[in-house]
Amino acid sequence: MDFSYSEEQRMLTDSLRRLVTDRWTYADRRARQKAGVLDQAAWANLVELGVGGLLVPEEFGGFGESPATMLAVHHELGRGLVSEPVISSAVMAVTLLANCSNQALKERWLTAHAEGDAVLAVAWQEEGERYASRPLCTRASVTADGFILDGRKVQVWHAAGSQALIVSAVLDGETALFLVPADCAGVTIADYPTFDGSRASTVAFERVVLSTDSLIARGAQAQSLLTLALDFGITAMCAHACGAMEYLTESTIQYLKTRKQFGQPLAAFQVLQHRLADMLTQQEMAISSTYVATVGLAEQDAARRSRLVSMTKVEVSCAARFVGESAVQLHGGMGMTDELEVGDYFKRLTFIDMLLGDTNFHLQRIQDLGN
Amino acid sequence: MDLTWSAQEHAFREEVRTFLSANLPAELRAKSFAHYRLERKDYMQWHRILADNGWGAPSWPKEFGGTGWNPLERLIFEIESFKAGAPRLLPFGLSMIGPVLMKFGNQKQKDYYLPRIINMDDWWCQGYSEPGSGSDLASLKTRAERVGDKYIINGQKTWTTLAHYADWMFCLVRTDPAAKAQRGISMVLIDMKQPGVTVRPIRTLDGGADVNEVWLENVEAPIENLVGEENNGWTYAKYLLGHERSGIAGIGHCHRELAILKSLAERTMASGESLSLDSRVRDSINRIEAQVLALEMMVLRVAADSSDPGPKASILKIRGSELQMELARLQLQVAGVDAWPYDPDWMHAQAEFHGPGADYSPAAAAAYFDMRKTAIYGGTNEVQKGIIAKQIIGV
Repeated sequence: MDFSYSEEQRMLTDSLRRLVTDRWTYADRRARQKAGVLDQAAWANLVELGVGGLLVPEEFGGFGESPATMLAVHHELGRGLVSEPVISSAVMAVTLLANCSNQALKERWLTAHAEGDAVLAVAWQEEGERYASRPLCTRASVTADGFILDGRKVQVWHAAGSQALIVSAVLDGETALFLVPADCAGVTIADYPTFDGSRASTVAFERVVLSTDSLIARGAQAQSLLTLALDFGITAMCAHACGAMEYLTESTIQYLKTRKQFGQPLAAFQVLQHRLADMLTQQEMAISSTYVATVGLAEQDAARRSRLVSMTKVEVSCAARFVGESAVQLHGGMGMTDELEVGDYFKRLTFIDMLLGDTNFHLQRIQDLGN
Repeated sequence: MDLTWSAQEHAFREEVRTFLSANLPAELRAKSFAHYRLERKDYMQWHRILADNGWGAPSWPKEFGGTGWNPLERLIFEIESFKAGAPRLLPFGLSMIGPVLMKFGNQKQKDYYLPRIINMDDWWCQGYSEPGSGSDLASLKTRAERVGDKYIINGQKTWTTLAHYADWMFCLVRTDPAAKAQRGISMVLIDMKQPGVTVRPIRTLDGGADVNEVWLENVEAPIENLVGEENNGWTYAKYLLGHERSGIAGIGHCHRELAILKSLAERTMASGESLSLDSRVRDSINRIEAQVLALEMMVLRVAADSSDPGPKASILKIRGSELQMELARLQLQVAGVDAWPYDPDWMHAQAEFHGPGADYSPAAAAAYFDMRKTAIYGGTNEVQKGIIAKQIIGV
């Protein structure tokens, strides 16, 4: 094992650090949030540094990078609280497509993704099902020259602004995955803001006509592709959370050194020093746990992989809550305002637990997969 | 020791419940349970209903127009009111400046201001914290200079809750800049509707703007608006903070949020089953119910103790805030994916909600963020622990 970054990883993360420091300032982020649509220039900046093609295999114009590099990249993006659809598109959708066997779709969409010409979203959650990943109400049926898709997906992360959606549906009683261009007739995307300043949608499919080659996979293969994509997404999100925790801890330390009460800096109070020490400990344990999941992604045994990823999700969500809540507490009244970035980080760290399965969901998954 | 409620206390509880079901407007009740923002008119409406029925000042003695209820009766009233979905009673007049005027105000001040508080003719706000003086309140800098028969006041206050609605501010000012810290501070009543008073809302994590910054530029207060003696304001401020803390456990709020949590779990479905049947969710709800019941008993113990609540109030403050924060967190967890959509505009009862899910959904995240304030305001929990160590434990 070698925990130090390779030369290439260092150059990449340094460039990303500079980019997010310059272009993802508090003011930039707020402006994009207010605009409510994907900022194409910001997306292009990320793609230029290789974020779009990071996990795309080399044969489709990408870098075919390892999960370890993915971790390093998302750690940086988390530091900058990047809200663009990197995890949903460049990690989840790309991983899913890269591992499927539909060559035509791979040619078309992976290449476009690596070049920055396509953003993809994964639509897998359904109403009343919370975080469960098996489709029930979205159904596809076979026609003479393809499929007809009907149904509704909820909590589709970053659906608006995507050129195509990967949609799970029931086909002949089993799970199937389809690639659905967002501009297909019968696709309606109702977009809304989420509490962490990003976007999600409810997507309705009404008599959507799909060609034969829009089928990504079906049956056990479809379910395992979806699980794989989710596991990669969760791991990237945990790395994002760790980066956000690191930045938030640093800025909280800075604040306590500056802010004076009772004639001395707040950092001089032992009770506050201990809280900072706890934050740092939680953050270091969270990144260590994220390494566990990253190692797990290479597991051949899918159940073991998912189990490790779920464990990390539980640990990182718990650390994220502690660090976020502590940062607000240590900032005192200032931490309660919407005028500092501490609140933005706190909200993102809170949202992490509610994305891609919450703690209770993953505790259950750990238990189910353990036997 | 007799741990049962007396027949008299039972009867009082029944009387309160009957009153609430007859007098609490359904609209206010609905707003409370949906966590919608309350507006000026909502608070006014409820205060006036209480005043019209002689219950405008539940914590005041009869001689000042209060109900004359004992501490246990006051608690019963608070808990039942919250459980029924009534708006909280604004503390600024009833629990803060009112009691200070009763004890330290002159006859003229008592006669003029106290009835107006009960009837909600004046909306008060608290001019304490300043940008550089939070936990360290005694370092405040707002200056009041005596010129003839009035004070000229200059300075800046912050975290002033609902100042944008206020008619009056009770304000801590420095009248003797040469004196050290606590000495040299006075309490002055300031008319908010005069030139030189600027109120700027501070937007908070939940998207609301209940707190404000207030600038005072050459603001005038006649000397008869001085409370008690000049340079003795710190004594009154401390007395007032003692009053603020006795209600700070938020036990009524905890009861209401527990009820909301339970009903949220009942009606939130996961794969065809109510979330209230999920053992992990059920355990966390049962656990917090046990903690709320213990807090209620703790509040009753402190209230029944006729000696000044003193430092024990710090225990109530810490535990009350912890439970309020945890209840909000559990609500958010139970709401789960339904709580994703959020826009501050959706927090008003008349707003059109454009996200998916039930209309309570956006409130779950907002309430979780907002409740973090309970561990910060009124002296942070770290400060409270210092008080417990020093004044109860004696180390």
